[in-house]
Amino acid sequence: MQWFAAGCGCALCGSASARLLDYDLMAVEVASKSWAVLGRTEYFSMDNGGNIVNVAFVEVPDGVVVIDTGPSKRYGDALRVLIEKTVPGKPILRVYNTHHHPDHFLGNQSFDASVIAAPQKVIDNIGLEGNGFADNLYRLLGDWMRGTNAVAPGIALQADREEIGGRAFSLYYLSGHTSSDFVIRDDETGVLFAGDLAFLYRAPTTPHADIVSWRESLNVLSGIDKSLLIPGHGPSDDKDESLQQTGDYIDWLYGSISDSVKRGLTMNEAMALPVPARFEGLGVVRSEYERSVVHLYPGLEDALYPVIEVSQ
Amino acid sequence: MKHWARVAVVLCMALVSTVSLARELPDDPFQSVMWESMAERFMPDGEIVFDERVRVMAPLSAENQFHVPVTVDATALEDVVEIVAVADLNPIPLVMSLRPTEALAFIGFRLKLQQTSPIHVGVRTGDGVWHVGGAVVDAAGGGCTAPAAAHGNSSWMQTLGETRAYAGRDDDSTARMTLRMRHPMDTGLAAGIPAFYLNELAVRNDAGKIIAELDLYEPVSENPTLTLKPRVGPEQMILHVSSRDTEGNTFSFPLDVPAATGL
Repeated sequence: MQWFAAGCGCALCGSASARLLDYDLMAVEVASKSWAVLGRTEYFSMDNGGNIVNVAFVEVPDGVVVIDTGPSKRYGDALRVLIEKTVPGKPILRVYNTHHHPDHFLGNQSFDASVIAAPQKVIDNIGLEGNGFADNLYRLLGDWMRGTNAVAPGIALQADREEIGGRAFSLYYLSGHTSSDFVIRDDETGVLFAGDLAFLYRAPTTPHADIVSWRESLNVLSGIDKSLLIPGHGPSDDKDESLQQTGDYIDWLYGSISDSVKRGLTMNEAMALPVPARFEGLGVVRSEYERSVVHLYPGLEDALYPVIEVSQ
Repeated sequence: MKHWARVAVVLCMALVSTVSLARELPDDPFQSVMWESMAERFMPDGEIVFDERVRVMAPLSAENQFHVPVTVDATALEDVVEIVAVADLNPIPLVMSLRPTEALAFIGFRLKLQQTSPIHVGVRTGDGVWHVGGAVVDAAGGGCTAPAAAHGNSSWMQTLGETRAYAGRDDDSTARMTLRMRHPMDTGLAAGIPAFYLNELAVRNDAGKIIAELDLYEPVSENPTLTLKPRVGPEQMILHVSSRDTEGNTFSFPLDVPAATGL
């Protein structure tokens, strides 16, 4: 009897949480046969399950091409269902990973690793840090992450272009947000999938950033002929607003944190400084600024403080 | 017989705990399960009060559990004798203590966290009272039991003690020094790596007079980065820093504080 009651309770629990933990993904057609799945402009939380990222998919003549796979196996599974619903019966021919941050690739498990492709450096980064990222997301997202493991892409890319299922894509090997940021352009529609080199109305994140190369990459992206840009976070952008906004923010960030280091401020004192009013519209800007202080301070201390002669 | 013995033991224990709790401990606003123990071990004797004048700046969530920045500002208190920082739930809780003889009651440092933990900072004033502030920092696990990053590089011994530093001024009578010294700060809790850390640091003026003395412990982050605010005159001066680690290596260096502008 006791056993029965316990079993009953559990069954209720299970169905309740299964209902709650639904990403409820929606595909928005942003160009002909091209869909973006836009995440919230927030930080990871139990409430959003890590659905804070943009992924996309494109119907090509013979199948489907997917750009990024989301933060969890549950997300990857939901994305597959959404793709099948939107483009029924078409095989997934290619999955691109733009970089190794967990919100962009931890859905890889739901896809066949032999069609997942990225630059070698992204694959290396996933090998080095992927499981650590997954561990941390279990801590932040709990059951949303159930069953998720880091899966590295099976194909290392180095070509400037590749044709997938009857459609040509231009491939750009950049860096700055991380040590390897991969950008893809659909040459037919001119849609540019910029990954996390571009943020829009969401504060850029910097855990692996090199601000100087990020700045150079933004200049490259500005020069690419495109009809539309899908940033890693935030709404789709048809006038390079994301590039301008991201550039403005990282320039300010780098200047402001350098200045704090030069004044000998502690990290905590730097974190307490105001963020300019023009960035107030960027989602989670306060907390991302504080995180960036922790990311950028040690490197700037090494760069800006002189070596002192030490006698032993 | 057995029964009476047990009662006696219980009575004895009750007596002992009454005696050791003679000092009334205020409730901990940070609700640490370790608060009583922290107070007994690291803030002995004297009255204990939680005091908003002990400002403890720390992030709500640790971006990196190996480098959690903490700044303590107790400059609103007079006659500060000692500042002690503990991370309650670390396997080694005691982080550092500062005696700011000729410095402001202020320090910036970074610490390793083994898990989400309250941090308590006790500031003892000349009358013997401990004024306590704190913060709770959420953290991923493992900050104290992983090998230092230095051990990824076989030549780390060659850069031991390498120092970068800033010395400047907040105003005419307050210098500001931030120093960053290469040291693995091994806790002894990573497999096969014995404890090895900078454990003493002193700042003196030209005449050899102590300005501030620090005891550092295992939880201080690798490559300790410390900020202090010595009390100085408006003229240019040299601060002399001397430090040693648990293996007896010593490191000494001067820091040049510029004259106050307008002097």
